Amino acid sequence: MKAGTVAPAGPDLDQDYRHGFHDSEDAYRFKSAKGLNREIVERISSMKNEPEWMLNFRLKAYETFRSKPMPEWGDKALLEEINFDDIHYFVKAGDRAEISWDDVPADIKKTFDRLGIPEAERKFLSGVSAQYESEVVYHSVREDLAKDGVIFCDMDTALREHPEIVEKYLATVIPVADNKFAALNSSVWSGGSFVYVPPGVEVKSPLQAYFRINTENMGQFERTLIIADKGSKVHYIEGCTAPQFSTASLHSAVVELIAMEGSSIRYTTIQNWYRNIFNLVTKRAVAHKNATVEWVDGNIGSRLTMKYPAIYLMGEGARGEILSMAFAGEGQHQDAGAKVIHAAPHTTSVVTNKSVSAHGGKTTYRGLVEIFPGAVGAKTRVKCDALIMDERSSSDTKPTMKIDEQKATVEHEASVSKIGEEQLFYAMSRGLSEADATAMIVNGFFDFFVKELPMEYAVELNRLVKMEMEGSVG
Amino acid sequence: MPESTPLARASDVPSGTTRRVEHDGEALLVCNVGGAFYAIEDQCTHDGGELDQGELDGCRIMCPRHGAYFDVTTGAALTLPAIMPVRTYPLRIEGDEIFLA
Repeated sequence: MKAGTVAPAGPDLDQDYRHGFHDSEDAYRFKSAKGLNREIVERISSMKNEPEWMLNFRLKAYETFRSKPMPEWGDKALLEEINFDDIHYFVKAGDRAEISWDDVPADIKKTFDRLGIPEAERKFLSGVSAQYESEVVYHSVREDLAKDGVIFCDMDTALREHPEIVEKYLATVIPVADNKFAALNSSVWSGGSFVYVPPGVEVKSPLQAYFRINTENMGQFERTLIIADKGSKVHYIEGCTAPQFSTASLHSAVVELIAMEGSSIRYTTIQNWYRNIFNLVTKRAVAHKNATVEWVDGNIGSRLTMKYPAIYLMGEGARGEILSMAFAGEGQHQDAGAKVIHAAPHTTSVVTNKSVSAHGGKTTYRGLVEIFPGAVGAKTRVKCDALIMDERSSSDTKPTMKIDEQKATVEHEASVSKIGEEQLFYAMSRGLSEADATAMIVNGFFDFFVKELPMEYAVELNRLVKMEMEGSVG
Repeated sequence: MPESTPLARASDVPSGTTRRVEHDGEALLVCNVGGAFYAIEDQCTHDGGELDQGELDGCRIMCPRHGAYFDVTTGAALTLPAIMPVRTYPLRIEGDEIFLA
């Protein structure tokens, strides 16, 4: 395929999507034929020189994927658009993950330069992983962290260099048969991040991974596993973009977090996939005694996102927080939410979700809070607010609460509103245009989320939201 | 009082397999782990899936609905998304017949 074969994806979708460029694929090492069968699964495993247990894991997962039905819930009409036979399941752009930025192939380096990755690394990150198509092409971690025993590498490397940890923990939080897409990921996974933080070590600045799809009709199936050992602390950030193509690609990741006693994991995602990517991701964390897990989850891009970061509070005193925001514009459905399971006493959780739908977009909040018998003193607070910008847009809120313990505290509030005429009038009477006033109000609505982000991300998110709002009025 | 109706015939549940039986309106799963018999309730504690549709691997059985594993000898939930154990039932074997103890 030649570079620049970019067809417009439909009216207005391309405007201002600055990550929409496409690189040449001429120098690619391998691209599997479309569709999925046992041979492709075996080929992926053999190309990666994997141990036999991993090949068996993949093959079993492949059978599970084949036998599981599509979800009976969610946006079934959009889900039916996914043609599993029209996807490249494995695309290898380079030979290995480079540790020096200078060694990354020029084309790919240019891509990440355009996305600002090396610059961000220099400024404020502890480590960076850049995944291009199916595999990680660049990887670095600060030397002092490596000396402390922090492991931050791509999953393929982890399987080669730390097979005992991978085998022990992989798929223990999200079993292969959890859902059809987790099974698909388990059979064809490639890339993703592996993080292990030893007991008592605090990783002070964030680790970052960046995921980029470049091929049309491609599936990206990264697998991420983060283990924070006792009393340790880590913050991991991921960002995602893809070129503008006329046909859809699939991104189906599995992310497992394990927070051992007294540890803390924060996982921040800003998903800005191009608007024809199906983003069907399973993210789940386990928090043991007195551990803290925080998901900070931003959804701006994709055609359909179905993602419900979950926290299983398994040990006494464990704490979970899920902050999520979603913006759905024309042709988009952000079906996002949160799940918190209180399975031990004195566990606490906070869920805050805010969504905006505009230009005919749709947002769904789908949440679950479950408090098991015996989880005395459990406390949870769920707040979800939806803002609907115009008559063509819509929002659904589907919270579920299962409370089986009497000595628990549960708070839930939800609101759905339109942008206030009075607020707009007030802002405009102070000299703002309608577009600026609307953008300011929407940015204020998302402020709870933005202030949790590192500065570079906060600025970018505010810019994106402002851009999305332009053209919505006047 | 000991049960008089057998749950199943041991010869109908070969090693490494399971057999779903009805008892007092409840569905039980008789499991043969290397010649030793165990019975658990035939319902996943996570989402109510029927465990008899799952694969017995040693003493572990997988719920096919969401992939949770249980230890059929103790009932313990071994992996998420299940947390609570499944109920277990003590058994008594007489000749080829398996009874609830």
